[in-house]
Amino acid sequence: MTTGNASSDVSKDILVATVGRPHGVKGLVHLFAATDDPASVEEIGALHDERGVVWRVEWQGHGIARLFDATGRAIADRDEASRLVNLRLYVARDRLPDTDEDEFYHADLIGLRAETREGKVLGTVAVVHDYGAGVSLEIAAAAPERKGQDLIVPFTRICVPEILFDQGRIVVEPPHEVEVEGDLSGRGDVAVRS
Amino acid sequence: MARSVWKGPFVDGYLFGKAEASRASGRNEVIKIWSRRSTILPQFVGLTFGVYNGHKFLPVQVTENMVGHKFGEFSPTRTFPGHASDKKSKRG
Repeated sequence: MTTGNASSDVSKDILVATVGRPHGVKGLVHLFAATDDPASVEEIGALHDERGVVWRVEWQGHGIARLFDATGRAIADRDEASRLVNLRLYVARDRLPDTDEDEFYHADLIGLRAETREGKVLGTVAVVHDYGAGVSLEIAAAAPERKGQDLIVPFTRICVPEILFDQGRIVVEPPHEVEVEGDLSGRGDVAVRS
Repeated sequence: MARSVWKGPFVDGYLFGKAEASRASGRNEVIKIWSRRSTILPQFVGLTFGVYNGHKFLPVQVTENMVGHKFGEFSPTRTFPGHASDKKSKRG
């Protein structure tokens, strides 16, 4: 159940921070930001918890923040702060900044149905991998007999030509997979001199 | 200690043939490899390799900036799911 001005469905909101233990006796708390840039927790402005109560955050130091309730009153003592431990703070998805062209929030991609051009369902986007060598989507297999055989496709225009948020699906063209096995008895290692 | 320069970069030889074949075919291909130890050479730029991390073959799209690094550097074996809930990525 939600109250106040917050969005009506917390499950669709984005978790931005979790309140940790109190810090000192003046109502400060350790705050664990769940955003790429911790400063954005403060920049977003009004946040809400699972019950829909509105909160605002002001950083006071590295990982230390002061919380303000809906009326703008700061949490002023340690007892009050200790009652907020593990409080999760959310923001509605539509309040996140717009992305650039061809840029997508991982939260938007995860859960989309993956289909081929012919309409064959491959599965659901489960994970977005991004380790510095191109983004890839891990698609959890839909068919029970293919459980555990997840498909990982590069997140490129060739492999993912269409992203249809309104239909909750993406069109995937899985790349051909070529396996390479070593033939160390033959050519062996190759040294390339520059 | 760093590897001696006179030896040149280390690459498993069989990658060359497969990279050439993949480039010649011009198809949308992921070359699955286990050789995490191989150095990325300029010949591999533009290709996509699926580098095994002990669990999955993670696609590695080779770019010029990656030349000189090892394939294994781009396919972590221990993944930290991360806290970032507002993380975003560009489609390549």
